[in-house]
Amino acid sequence: MSLSSLVIEYKWMLEVFYALAITAICMLVVLKTDKFYKLSLHQGIRYFRNAFFFFGIAFVGRYVFGIFSDLALHSAFIVGFFFEYFLIMAGFFLLYSLIWKKIESPNETYLTSLFNAKIMIFHGMALVLALLDKTLQTYYFMFFSQMIIFAYASVLSYKNYRKNAKHDFPKFYFVATMIGFVAWTINFLAASYFEWHHGLLIDVGLMNIMFFLLFLYGVVKVTKK
Amino acid sequence: MTTKKRERLDVIKDIIQTIKDNRQIKPTRLLYASNLSPQMFKEYINELISKKFIKLDIDGKDKKTFSLTKKGQDFLMEYKVIESFIENFGL
Repeated sequence: MSLSSLVIEYKWMLEVFYALAITAICMLVVLKTDKFYKLSLHQGIRYFRNAFFFFGIAFVGRYVFGIFSDLALHSAFIVGFFFEYFLIMAGFFLLYSLIWKKIESPNETYLTSLFNAKIMIFHGMALVLALLDKTLQTYYFMFFSQMIIFAYASVLSYKNYRKNAKHDFPKFYFVATMIGFVAWTINFLAASYFEWHHGLLIDVGLMNIMFFLLFLYGVVKVTKK
Repeated sequence: MTTKKRERLDVIKDIIQTIKDNRQIKPTRLLYASNLSPQMFKEYINELISKKFIKLDIDGKDKKTFSLTKKGQDFLMEYKVIESFIENFGL
């Protein structure tokens, strides 16, 4: 039996395991960074933490609640909508954690980083993109938004790598964002031209796990010093 | 000669470090040591008090001094790690 047919045979079990693994990684990153945010009150750390909080919610919602909703409630539309919304928001937060200094003044503080005036623009965009996808029954708005976000994040992380060559992690951050970009591009190609080819989707899943593991590695490595 | 503008995190660290070095410090002395305008100083101090990094002590003679809380001491111990985190992740 090939790997692809094994994956198809045990698809739902693997999806739950995959989602739980990514959610666990995200929660570890959130817990570690939340501690540092509370100590430093640094907005960049705050937005970075939010990114992984939203990634975690997206994956647990899509694959864990999604499985049960498929079985019991037939509410795939709602699950799919919120999966896209949280995933797009996570991408926005990750990118914003890299550019917030250019947008906010140094002493600008907000009571909440989830619903302040600037972040509300992201909420609005994420809601519109997710709604367009669900209404038109496509995934293209999510794919294109994420490809743009990760391409931009790759450029910024490469600049940071060049600027902070003395540190170890910036090159891994750059690699992680490149993996994110490639994964979204393959996902788009699989949906558009290869009828959701299982082999390609397995590749995307593996790349996603690598993406999250790289960030967990960075957080653990930097914070254990 | 050019001087680099202090980041917000550096300002917080400098204020907390000054309080730690003096154990207890009067507001006026801390204002001079912080090298901030009175308005900025007030904003930082109010935030640090509200987040429980420092506390304002008032004795029987109405003399005011700032001292460090446990959270403020934790911040100083973790400062290098936080700084490294910010640089590594480009935040």
